[in-house]
Amino acid sequence: MPSSRRLVDYEPIIGSVSTSKLKQVAGDLAGMKVVHVNSTREGGGVAEILFWMIPLMRDLGLNASWEVIDGNPAYFNVTKAFHNGLQGNRVSLSDSMKAAYEETLETNAERLRPVLEEADYVIIHDPQPARLLQLCPNRKGKWIWRCHIDVSQPNRQVWNYIRSMVDGYDASIFSMPEFAKTLSHPQFIVAPSIDPLSEKNIPLSSDEVLSVLTQFNLDPDRPLITQISRFDRFKDPVGVIEAVKLLNSAYNVQLVLAGGGATDDPEGSAVLAEVQQAAEGVENIHVLLLPPDAHRIINALQRASTIVLQKSLQEGFGLTVTEAMWKGKPVIGGNVGGIRLQIHNSHTGYLVDSPEGATLRMHNLLARPELMTRLGTTARQFVLENFLCNRQLREYMTLMLGLKRGLANHLMAS
Amino acid sequence: MSMAFQIRDCSLIARMAGVRSAMNLRELEERIAVCPDESLFHHFCETVIRPTFDNPDYNNDFAMWTSRYLQDRKLAERLAVINPYKCSSIDELRKLVLEIIQERLMEVDHIPWAPKKDQFHFLRSVTVVYDTGLILNSPVDLFERLPEVALGSVYYHFVEARRRTENGLDDFSNWLSEFGDGALPLIELLHEIDFYFMSLSELKLKLVDIVNRSEVTNAFK
Repeated sequence: MPSSRRLVDYEPIIGSVSTSKLKQVAGDLAGMKVVHVNSTREGGGVAEILFWMIPLMRDLGLNASWEVIDGNPAYFNVTKAFHNGLQGNRVSLSDSMKAAYEETLETNAERLRPVLEEADYVIIHDPQPARLLQLCPNRKGKWIWRCHIDVSQPNRQVWNYIRSMVDGYDASIFSMPEFAKTLSHPQFIVAPSIDPLSEKNIPLSSDEVLSVLTQFNLDPDRPLITQISRFDRFKDPVGVIEAVKLLNSAYNVQLVLAGGGATDDPEGSAVLAEVQQAAEGVENIHVLLLPPDAHRIINALQRASTIVLQKSLQEGFGLTVTEAMWKGKPVIGGNVGGIRLQIHNSHTGYLVDSPEGATLRMHNLLARPELMTRLGTTARQFVLENFLCNRQLREYMTLMLGLKRGLANHLMAS
Repeated sequence: MSMAFQIRDCSLIARMAGVRSAMNLRELEERIAVCPDESLFHHFCETVIRPTFDNPDYNNDFAMWTSRYLQDRKLAERLAVINPYKCSSIDELRKLVLEIIQERLMEVDHIPWAPKKDQFHFLRSVTVVYDTGLILNSPVDLFERLPEVALGSVYYHFVEARRRTENGLDDFSNWLSEFGDGALPLIELLHEIDFYFMSLSELKLKLVDIVNRSEVTNAFK
């Protein structure tokens, strides 16, 4: 279920100027039917974005709704293969896999067609629902493909298949220029964002944070290093364990690797087993498999952290980096994808290319508490100005307005 | 009766320019030759409104990329010293950039390459313009309200205006010219600002400093 929050709830954080900008852009879109489609209601960054975006669009006068693909395990196995292939993994796409994907979408199209063909705007998130465009021949609105994945070096076979489905859209959105592919329609660059009022980001009492530490047998008096992310090889959880093992034991740190599983990620349990094996016998490593709704627990773990890691080897954007920065934490992130948009070396955190690099930066920070404070303060301000949900919402609506009026160099919001 | 001046604010939304990315200096040259005018404007002139922490080493993206990813600081410095607002047109700017790159291509033994993940991506932007609700009716209003305007407004009215207005001047100068000879010293001071190498915060400070000078304020007492 989307949240019940309204724009007025955000104004104390984002300010009246930002609120006014949203209202100006939304003015000419009032009453428009906007349908977002993705493949999971819970788990993963896309669902989290839609959770706040739908109610805010409605509050601004748009007729926004959210539809989810109803898929079986075979469909999710194929879409996971898409995901891996688009991120560059070797994937073989058989005819039976394509059939499983196409049949699921044909079934879903029967259900969704009336809504989608009537919509003024349809925003399709990621490749999972991409084929819907071809299955809605009488569509009247603008269709936008929103790609959240790093597709900079995709598996060719997978990309060619996806491309055949997305080329017909009216526009696409990528998180970074590096991710954009050559397509026959305008491609916009919109970075994702976080909701500062979500359970994952709202301020928590120190009692609540302490109770979460107690719940997981964590010592509040020892430095806490945390990586929050799905158990996915691209997040390099084993590399994080290596980095912490290399750290001088005098720092007496404890490591938490915590993540939930998304309903569209069948590989999670295999990676979790690898992580548990790597952590076996090491006293200070805590591997936590959290349910998809453990948002306040994740919030508390991030707030209790001394340093947050996101040592991804490949990353779409890395919303967990944004979340930690918003909580004023110094973040050490993998030098990949959208993490590079957020972490500016020595300003908002550190970018690293190896477990050794992560160890080195942890040393630097743990030895200098004032540095951690400075980086954390700058990081929070950077998120406030660039990566909160109002900016992303404004850019989505601006793009919609541009498609409606024609793409010129200037667009008057009001 | 002079027109009221509506202070506007703006932000950018970026899109791909429709030109393939460049992986080396030769490709950069080839693609600069054919990229849209809006893309050159973006990489030279819109850098100032993008988020940054401090003054960047280089004011345009081409200089930044050649320094950081081609490791060619000599070329970066030659590109960085270009002030696009000294060129009479985007075409003139394009020719100048191409000449510098072609000269460098003649000098180097090997074509410098960037790592695959660090290609140069050609972008362009849509400028989204907002109403701030702030209206100036006289130069005195400008003197009093300038400290409170957003940096986006400073960019829109003093920098971006130059590609939008018929005479290529900033919005403030054009508006002030309606107030007769008394406004001329202020207009002249505004024209003297070498704004391209300033951050928007520095530019705003400079503008506030100018409108607070006694020779300027006295003319409107």
